[in-house]
Amino acid sequence: MATGTDLRMLAAREKRAEFERQALVHTDALFGAAYRLTRNARDAEDLVQDSLLRAYRFWDSFEQDSNCKAWLLRIVTNTFINEYQRKKRSREVLDAASAEQDATDGVLMHAEATDRQSPERTLLERSVSDDVQRALDGLPDDFRTAVVLCDVQGLSYKEIADIMQTPVGTVMSRLFRGRKLLAASLREFAIAEGYVKTTAPKQLAEAGATDQTIDLEKYRAARSAREGSHS
Amino acid sequence: MSLCHSIETLSMAFLDDELAAEERRELELHLLDCASCRQLVDGERADLELVRKALVAPPAPALLKARITRALDAEDVAVARRERRRWSQWLLPGSAMAAAAASILVFVGLGATPGSRENSPFTRDAAKQEIHALPLEVQGASTGPWLRDHFAPVEPPQFTEPGIALLGARLLPNGIANHDAALLSYLVTIGANRVTLTAVVLKDLRGDDLGGGQAYQVGNQILRVHDTDGMPAVTYVDQGRNVGYVFTSERLTADELIRLVVSTDLVARASQRR
Repeated sequence: MATGTDLRMLAAREKRAEFERQALVHTDALFGAAYRLTRNARDAEDLVQDSLLRAYRFWDSFEQDSNCKAWLLRIVTNTFINEYQRKKRSREVLDAASAEQDATDGVLMHAEATDRQSPERTLLERSVSDDVQRALDGLPDDFRTAVVLCDVQGLSYKEIADIMQTPVGTVMSRLFRGRKLLAASLREFAIAEGYVKTTAPKQLAEAGATDQTIDLEKYRAARSAREGSHS
Repeated sequence: MSLCHSIETLSMAFLDDELAAEERRELELHLLDCASCRQLVDGERADLELVRKALVAPPAPALLKARITRALDAEDVAVARRERRRWSQWLLPGSAMAAAAASILVFVGLGATPGSRENSPFTRDAAKQEIHALPLEVQGASTGPWLRDHFAPVEPPQFTEPGIALLGARLLPNGIANHDAALLSYLVTIGANRVTLTAVVLKDLRGDDLGGGQAYQVGNQILRVHDTDGMPAVTYVDQGRNVGYVFTSERLTADELIRLVVSTDLVARASQRR
């Protein structure tokens, strides 16, 4: 309305519209990350809602030209680490049955997404989906977070390092070991259930082990030192 | 020199597209010559594809999106309420309304009668008009004549307080709950601060159509104060003409709003006719 001279009210409406335009468009992506971090749909929904509400309250502190998705993922990750892990631990102590419910939630959610496919395929995907959550359960939180931010969200090492507040080298080694463990247990589950017949399963303990230090910065430092000595 | 020594680092950064152009070229050249590194990179690529494919997540459920919208709405209402509280602290002492407020408080204090807290659908729908902010059909000085032409016999309520101007009006195309309705918009200026105030006027109402809320007796007339989703609304039915009024302002408290409404000529007009 041309006469809407109440600037404060106008500002509040603009803030909401801007938040919807820049932040809420990432709801699917945030849910994907939360689903893989929490490993069940119910916790993932709570985590996404809490994180978005938090983001809305602190919207003024978001730097408009920076990467909004990375900013939101930082909030999701921090909220997950600070609250959901603690909550989950206490809940597991109180209610051992919840784990079963969580697993069911994941299946229902997935079944809904695939219900237009053939029954056999749906059955197969359900099992695979269970395997993924089981494989993720086996990862330490830091490894899982690095893998989710990189392989579900496509963030760069630098963005992940900013979110997890660790050096890029640490991100790389978490990512490296997390992927190894995950790939190995996915293969193991698949072989155990007869989906994959080829190649002997890598041992989990072996999968995480490497002689080499995974660190691009160190490699670059060594490389430029070499080049310096050559010239 | 051989890159074999750092191949795990390089392979990972290569597959994640984190290598600089020159590093990438170096590695690609090396892979042409070194079968064991090539094999390692291929194995890593297969692992990465397996992991990425497995981790594809379902989209957010529609219910979650609805929950988020509700949570943000609730946050907006809470913030607006806090803002109003701030405004009311600033509005009350020493403002132009203080004198009028004192006289009205007597009526309100004496006349408060307990009533049902349930809001009528009229009040709720009318209060929403403030939020929808439809464009005005007429503005400024021609608003009064326009309203007489298009919405007789309703006269725009005049505020006796200084600093309150009628901005304009519009008819509500669908009416409200099957009653013809018009919206009047006022600008309340106090010092450097300005807030809008909306009056929705409904025709052919009965006295209890705007029931509910908290009833206050002013002279021989009844005003009601309602809470509509955190926003106060003051309603009044002119029994002689069967015309109902719903006043709302997103920035004002219920107290401020009722003081403003009492200061209109509505109540005085109705009392004179009796």
